[in-house]
Formats: sequence, structure tokens, C-alpha cells
Amino acid sequence: MLERKSKQHSVRDAVALIKDGDKVAIGGSLIRRAPMALVREIVRQKKKDLTLYSWSGGMDYDLLIGAGCVKEAWSSYCGLFQFGMAMNFRRGVESGQVRFVDLSETCAKDKFRAAAFGNTYCISKVPLHTSIMENPEFQNIVTCPFTGEEYVAMEAYHPDVAILHAHRADKYGNVQFDPIRMMDNECDILIAKSAKKVIVSVEEIVNESVVVQNPTWTMLPKIFIDAVVEIPFGAHPNSCDALYDFDLEHGRMYRDYSKTPEKFLEYLNEFVYSCLEHESYIDKCGGTAALKKLCRPAKEKNDG
Amino acid sequence: MENYTIEEMLAVEVSRHIHNDEMSFVGVGTGGKAYIRAVGIPAVASRLAQLSHAPDSMIMFGPIIDPVLDSDSIPETNNEYDLIHWPCRSQTTVYDSHVVFKAGRMGVGFVSGAQVDQYGNINIVCIGDYNKPKVRLPGSLAQPDHLAYAKRVFAIIKHDKRTLVEHVDYISGCGNEHREGLKGGGLALVFTELAVMDFNDSGKMRLKSMHPGVSLQNVIDNTGFALDIPEHVMTTEPPSEEQLKLIRERIDPKRKWLNANITQEPTTLTN
Repeated sequence: MLERKSKQHSVRDAVALIKDGDKVAIGGSLIRRAPMALVREIVRQKKKDLTLYSWSGGMDYDLLIGAGCVKEAWSSYCGLFQFGMAMNFRRGVESGQVRFVDLSETCAKDKFRAAAFGNTYCISKVPLHTSIMENPEFQNIVTCPFTGEEYVAMEAYHPDVAILHAHRADKYGNVQFDPIRMMDNECDILIAKSAKKVIVSVEEIVNESVVVQNPTWTMLPKIFIDAVVEIPFGAHPNSCDALYDFDLEHGRMYRDYSKTPEKFLEYLNEFVYSCLEHESYIDKCGGTAALKKLCRPAKEKNDG
Repeated sequence: MENYTIEEMLAVEVSRHIHNDEMSFVGVGTGGKAYIRAVGIPAVASRLAQLSHAPDSMIMFGPIIDPVLDSDSIPETNNEYDLIHWPCRSQTTVYDSHVVFKAGRMGVGFVSGAQVDQYGNINIVCIGDYNKPKVRLPGSLAQPDHLAYAKRVFAIIKHDKRTLVEHVDYISGCGNEHREGLKGGGLALVFTELAVMDFNDSGKMRLKSMHPGVSLQNVIDNTGFALDIPEHVMTTEPPSEEQLKLIRERIDPKRKWLNANITQEPTTLTN
């Protein structure tokens, strides 16, 4: 029998699929379940002139902007949630280094959904009479042929690459998400289906027989996936649903480091450039034992 | 000296304007004082409404629909683990949760903002020119969606001239001047630490009531445009003993909401 293709890659090989100038869509929401290990590898490989798409950006956007990888970014938000402003984003936009295209949450999700459903554009009334329409991408008005109502036509997002973090996958690229998960991150499924290539980091690569036990958890079967990478704590310092919490200590440290570009370079040197392997990043953050403190026990939803 | 805090006062006043049978949207919020305004006060107000006059009202907290809003049930932190295990009646995907807006089924949308102008336009995107901002802010999240589709939008904001401005620098939430094609009601009420405002027939902001101890001059001095001031301005009714007891003993004894303890970065509106 012929051997089936393995889509399991090293983080280096997977991120090498991203080219300078690519449009990269990032999963997760706010400071939750962004594929931070993949993001750090993008920085280490010094990708340039990327355009970023998400529905709500967080530390992922801020890190890539602060490292000089980004020329344009689209989202409804970029911030550090309870830690306040994302300072690299703020400096990047205020200085004109980065063009930021604002849109609402539903507009962003509609644009991903349009592409995932095979459409070239979608419609929305949300931008009407708002400054969202200041950007040329939101100035096409279309009229409903049935009711005569006016909508803003928005081009579907067609990212070159989508990067996500998930709970587990087999080596063939069948990607699973636990049933107990933050539904705010659910846009990941649309994001993946909108993209030409999809790279997913997972907490663990499991045997195909494990995947087969719970096929409804396989929200992204292998047909949608180009590369899977096993990276435990791959969302850190972001949280990963019910598996581990956001690392508050790291968040506060990041906020301090990002106050000036000079300080931020120290952060990049310490936690990105000098950590050639994910293991050395984990060690810098106190090692697996320290990160395990962010993990919570498995609990049935109906325990109350 | 009052026997209540400004956060309690605002939660009680907001609760009076919540209707029965409606679902309100509370965002998952960010942090600090903005969290108290955008999330903490609306959450407490929603539970007060359920316990007083609106037993069938409910909230949608991001993708978490109709959570139990009593003290012990409320998450210890806003980490996902705690949010995911928050007792609630439904959790939907984040893209379907917004269908509620577009289907016209959203009652009150709660928002906050860096600037609100006399016509109820809201800005949470930037200060100064959009293409060369003096200060770039985090962005609108679902604010444009609220202002386009919710039946009514309530803004809970700071009362000063930097916030209440003649014209916003960027419209992230559509006000009352031009609403052709939009199905929602737009901004209906504005709550600050000094007063409550609504809008007159020309869509301009009007003083509705001032909180106890606040003078008209104080309101005028802290508003960056000419507010419509009716001949008789009411005083906002202070919280009753019973309402304070509900907040302090049943709804928010640990001040997860009204002092943002749930974010693990506690604060107050007055410090």
C-alpha cells in the first residue's frame, strides 16, 4: 500500500511557506489562542511587508508590527485586553509605518466567511455613515435587486496563508478542537477555509486512531490543512481555551518592554531571536513546570 | 456624604432603562476604568433589572448567552477557563452571535468610547486625523455593529470636555444625523458620573437628569458643546437601601464587576 502524505513539519519549515509580502490571516481573538510560537518564528525568519488579517488582533499583531514585519494590517481591534494599549501598534500607526484598516467585528467575519463560502465579496450595512467608509475598500455601494436597499460591498478576504493554534491533530493534518472551548475563537474555522495555505500549530500530534474516536471534534479535516506543527504551549503567552490561562506575569512584562522601541528590541532579543527552538523559549519563561501552573484541571461543564 | 459609590449609582440608574423580554449585549471588555463602564456596570444593571422589573431580560456576554448573574456563579477571572465554565443557557460561535444583531433581535447594546459628540456619534478609534492620528486607540470592535443594529444603545462614559466633544474625530459608531438604511435605533442614552442624557427630536443630546449633588454649572463646564438643557432637569433617583443590598450581598459582593476585580487589575471610577 502506498504511504499517505504526512503534513507534520518543523516550525521552521512550516513558517518557510510564508513569503515576504504575503497576506497572512491569524486565528484566535484578542489575547486568546493566537499561534504565538508561529508568530515568533515569522519574526525570527525576518519576514517583510506582510499584510495581516484578523477579526481582533492582540499581542500577535503587536509583536509582528514591533519587529518590523508588517506594512498593512486589518482588524476591528488591536490591544492587550486588560493590559491596555498595544504600544508597537500605536507607534506603528501614528508614525505611518503601518497602514491600519479599521472595520467592525461583523465586517471582518463576513469577509472571512465570504471567502470560506466561495464568494468573492459580501455585503454589509454596518459601514454606512461611519468613518469605516474613509478607506477606499469600503466605498462601493450596491443595491439589493429585490428591495432596493443599499449595502457596502466588501471584497472577501483571500489570505495567502492562515496561521492558527489548535488542540490536537494527526500527522495527516486532521485538526481537532476540544468541545469545551471559547467560542470567540471559532472564527478560526472560517479563517482557515478562506486561505490558500493553512499552517496549524497544535498542543499535541496524536495517532490517527485518537482522532477517529471523536470525529465531530475535527473541525478542520486534512483537506484544508497544509502543515501541522507540534508545539506544546504554542499559544503562550496567550491562553488556549480551557487548557491554559493567559500568562499574566508575561503580559505585564511585555507591557513594560513595549513602552519604547529600544526596550522592545530587548524583548525580541531575549524571547524571540535568541530562542532558536521553542524549548529555549519555554526555558526563558521558567520552563514547563512554571507554565504548568497556567493549566487548569479538566472539568465537565455541568459540574456547576 | 452619600452611602453609595458612583459605580453603584450608575448600575442602578442603567437598570431602570432595561426592558423585559429583551437581550442586551455586553462586550467582553478590555481593562481598567473602561472595563467598569463597558462591562461591570451593564452586568450589574442587567441583574438588577432581572430582579426588579424585567425577569425575562437577559444578556449576551460575547458568545456566552444568558449567563447566571449572581455572585457565586460569576467567574472569578475573565480567563477563558472561568468564562467557558460560567453557568449559562447557550454558547454560540462568535460569527453566529452577531446574527442576533442583524436579525434585529438585539435590545440594548452597551458601549463606551473616547469621544461622543452632540449627535451621538461615537469614536473609539483615534484622536486627530484618521490618516495621521495624534493618538491611535485600540479600535471599534463591535461598536459599529451595535450602532447599526441594536434597538437602543447605551453609552457609559466619562463626563469631561475631552470625551463629550462637538464633533468626533472618527465615527466608529453612527449617531443620529444620518441613519438612512440602518435598522437599529442608535444611541439612546448616555450615562456619566455627573448625569444622564438622552436626545431631542433633532437628534441632539439633551440633559435628562443630574445625579444628586451635581450642579448644572458643573455639567455645563464639563461638556464640550452646548447641551440641550430643558427648563426643568430632574435629579437622578439615588439607589434604594434594597438595591444597594442586592448589589453588595447578592450580585457583586466581591466587586468583580464594579471594581473590575474579574480582570485581575482592579480599579475604581474615582481614583
